[in-house]
Amino acid sequence: MVASTPAASRRRSGLGRGVVRTAILLLILAVVLYPLIWMVGTSFKGQTEIVSNTGVLPGDFTPGNYTDGWNHFDVSFSRFFLNSAMVALLTVIGNAASCLVAAYAFARLRFPLRGFWFAVMIGTLLLPQHVLTIPQYILFKQFGWVGGEWPYIPLLVPQFLATEAFFVFLMVQFMRGIPRELDEAAKIDGASPFGIFRYVMLPLSRPALVTTAIFSFIWTWNEFFRQLVYLSDLSDYTIPVAMTLFIDSTGQSAIGPMFAMSVLSLLPVFLFFVAFQRLLVEGINTSGLKG
Amino acid sequence: MALTTANSPSVRASQGTGASAKRRRPRRGPQREGLAGYIFLSPWLIGLMGITAIPMLLSLYLSFTNYDVLSPLGEAEWVGLANYKRMFTSDPSYWRSVTVTVSFALIAVPLKLAAALGVALLLNKAWRGVGLFRGLFYLPSLIGGSVALAIVWVNMFNREGAFNGFLAIFGIEGKPWVNDPSWALETLMVLAIWQFGAPMVIFLAGLKQVPTELYEAASVDGAGRFRQFMSVTLPMLSPVIFFNLVLETINGFQGFTAAFVLSDGTGGPVDSTLMYTLNLYLKGWREYEMGYASAMAWVFLLAIGIITAVFFSTGRFWVHYSDGDDR
Amino acid sequence: MSTEMHPATGNSRRRLLRGIAAVAVALPLTFGAAACGGDDNEGSSTDANKPVELSVFYWGSEKRAELTQTALDAYKAKNPNVSFKITWQANQGYADKLATLAASGDVPDLFATDDNMLADFATRNVTADLNEYKGNKLDLSKFPPSLVEYGTVDGKLVGIAAGENTQGLVYNKTLLTTNALPEPTTGMTWEAFIDWAAQVTTKTKVPGTMDPSADYKAFWVWLRQQGKDLYNGKQFGFTADDVAKWFTLWKGARDKKATPTADIIHEGNVTDISKQLVVTGKAATSFVWANQMPELKKSTKDDLGVVAYPGDPSAQWARAAMYWNVANSSDNKAVAVDVINFLVNDEAAVTALGTDRGLPSNMDLRAKFAETVTDPAMKLSIQVENDLASKFGKAPQVPPKGHSTFRSELVKAAENVQFGRATPEKAAADLIAVVQPKLG
Repeated sequence: MVASTPAASRRRSGLGRGVVRTAILLLILAVVLYPLIWMVGTSFKGQTEIVSNTGVLPGDFTPGNYTDGWNHFDVSFSRFFLNSAMVALLTVIGNAASCLVAAYAFARLRFPLRGFWFAVMIGTLLLPQHVLTIPQYILFKQFGWVGGEWPYIPLLVPQFLATEAFFVFLMVQFMRGIPRELDEAAKIDGASPFGIFRYVMLPLSRPALVTTAIFSFIWTWNEFFRQLVYLSDLSDYTIPVAMTLFIDSTGQSAIGPMFAMSVLSLLPVFLFFVAFQRLLVEGINTSGLKG
Repeated sequence: MALTTANSPSVRASQGTGASAKRRRPRRGPQREGLAGYIFLSPWLIGLMGITAIPMLLSLYLSFTNYDVLSPLGEAEWVGLANYKRMFTSDPSYWRSVTVTVSFALIAVPLKLAAALGVALLLNKAWRGVGLFRGLFYLPSLIGGSVALAIVWVNMFNREGAFNGFLAIFGIEGKPWVNDPSWALETLMVLAIWQFGAPMVIFLAGLKQVPTELYEAASVDGAGRFRQFMSVTLPMLSPVIFFNLVLETINGFQGFTAAFVLSDGTGGPVDSTLMYTLNLYLKGWREYEMGYASAMAWVFLLAIGIITAVFFSTGRFWVHYSDGDDR
Repeated sequence: MSTEMHPATGNSRRRLLRGIAAVAVALPLTFGAAACGGDDNEGSSTDANKPVELSVFYWGSEKRAELTQTALDAYKAKNPNVSFKITWQANQGYADKLATLAASGDVPDLFATDDNMLADFATRNVTADLNEYKGNKLDLSKFPPSLVEYGTVDGKLVGIAAGENTQGLVYNKTLLTTNALPEPTTGMTWEAFIDWAAQVTTKTKVPGTMDPSADYKAFWVWLRQQGKDLYNGKQFGFTADDVAKWFTLWKGARDKKATPTADIIHEGNVTDISKQLVVTGKAATSFVWANQMPELKKSTKDDLGVVAYPGDPSAQWARAAMYWNVANSSDNKAVAVDVINFLVNDEAAVTALGTDRGLPSNMDLRAKFAETVTDPAMKLSIQVENDLASKFGKAPQVPPKGHSTFRSELVKAAENVQFGRATPEKAAADLIAVVQPKLG
């Protein structure tokens, strides 16, 4: 693995360097994490303290925010977590699969109008989403996708059709970093474009796939506007939509419980990230390039 | 993992120079590859035709109308270029938002990329606990744009905020950063840079893709760490740097959520954080001038399209692709 | 791509786009029309027992959702054929979702608006005119007449007040008593109020008052005290001069240190209750709605008091805190009206809903309800509002389309003055120039 491969000379001075590096990292980390620590502290403050106490630590420790937040609505927060997890995981699968095949075509295959389609693909990244919401809603309504038994259809179907150009472009860039000699060799062995995809590109695209999985998951976990528009039943709500329900700014607000649930909702994405980033480490270097 | 094929003798044999591989390239039917291309492209094409293109074209059509959201779409009246004319001649808020957005992107995007690359290099080597560190650095980017984040940020950067408390240690008197029209955009930039996790992960993944034997070869040739970075890491990372540059530029210009959340959806104080897309949102969704908002969106697409095209055309001079394909 | 960028240059391109739009538009219209036709033939109002499902959409908090559910359940108990599909949102996202539903022809049968949105929806015929139900299915006889008027746009009765509120000046009672300072009173002049506030600042080190120059409702009351109004039909009821005078009044107050600094004022220039300076401890008074008192109280340990805004209190009026509206496209308008009538006139429903959407609109029920209230903050807010009710002047018209633009531009103009980036005169002139074309 990586630790074993760097030149031996660089490892010998490793200890002193490691201490310096860790010190630098800890310093940056302290600054970077302070706002989050403040957020955790505030999640334990009572309603009157939140607006008046600007320090990190709660004066009056209020763990009740967590239980109150969890059971604040008719539907408990566990349901919102499950809904969000389901939408996020299906989005991960859809994006990873559909963007990978599209990226393979753009990165490796020669076909008529390739340049044109690539430009169109980049173009779809550029139009601000807010002018597309209503046309898309009207379109999906005609497809009969809106307000059905299973309201997540309009959120998920696009993800299985590679509509997130970001990931297509991401994977194209990664695939173009893979030496073409590998496919050429496979071609000589008689592999078809499908064979090359299956046996060369797929295994070597792991860093790109992992990155896609991480981003798909996190962004879906936090995405608000589309989920707001397409979900209408409290028991179908996802975390971002449910989170806004805590704050009715001109009427009643439950800021403490909102903070508590914000902190809790960070946990699954954090764990997802820590688990998946391992796969980044085991990326290309172990997948056979060096033989 | 399909290690078997990748490990097969032919693959290893082909690890020669690109030139010799190219000479042996078989001239097999381009039609077959063309067909395969479209087969692999088909999910994306269906998505484009069925899901992406129609709303895009509809919004293009609406940009020439006075569509107001609340009246039926069919009643929107054709107004020709009026929306486009208004943008350039009689809407001062339009140019304010252009100025805000350009200054935001020019400063925040390079700094965010630098922070992401710097931390990614520090976190690239495998050591005990590196995964946790990566996660912790990614944490700020996990929050997204929530109301909680807005409250946190205001409490970091208002008059009594933590940042001023920090400055006071050095006897510096701070400013009400987030509430001051001269500084609010800067706090927004700090927020954007703080959430550098996404490009950091992409850099990390890119670093993993650099074949380690290149470092070994460079080391044998007597290259020091800096030389290795310049002659191996940077060129091998260039496709990923290119990707991050293009995407973060697009994101920077599109920056909506942070501005929306921090300014309570107003772009204030006094329009100082009125990003282009926030202005567009307010026009379309608060004032129900969706026709005008659509026109703003298409001018945006055109402008960012040109910037992106410039990136792509300069890319051929500095982006190194291992596939030896110059596009 | 380049040809797509210049569609107006080619007639064929334009026709193509119109074609796409036409297809996108035509399909739902045909289906929608067919569905409507079918339902209308059934005649929902003739057969009282025909099962009806009403979609209901409003904004609020979990508590409001509970109260509303209780009230609607009570209706259902009496009318078993009616069921409800209820969706609620916080105010973040409510307007966006309602707009999306309206755009796709899916306006809920029964939905909520406030005076900030009402004209936008009414002038585009999203809301039904309920005049034909008035007096039969819809009993508004116990409403203060001005409250009914404040739901009328262009002669159409488009919104039924779900509750009433009025402007209230909330002050930190604890702070004043511990410093032996007098409390503000209803009817004191603006000048006297500002002097009082300056005195509070000197004595307590807490700025005496929020600077409300960015606050449309305070400006509105002040205008009415000058014999003017915010709107006159689809025009402003004031001139740039009036705005400049208003800004100058508060510039004087800031110079006297009666208010906090511009950055703190900016923090208070939001509608959020939890950010009002009187509860964050950054000013001794805030300009809010009187019925928000109980919620403000939850964010502070100090005691709060409430009086009318400074100046002649007869400039204040019975304002609809929010409205119930019926969709013009609804197939069940009569049922929806019946539900509204129940929510505002049935004793059980009114008791269940309490003051959550403002004081009950039905005066008889309001009096009954007031006797049962125990929460001291709530009691005070009702008492003050009832005292003022006897002094209320004639209600103004519902703000026209463009009101929300006025509100946000007023904030910008006032902050430009507060941060010293513009003179009151310049800011006032710019404000009128930007908003004027949007009214209508």
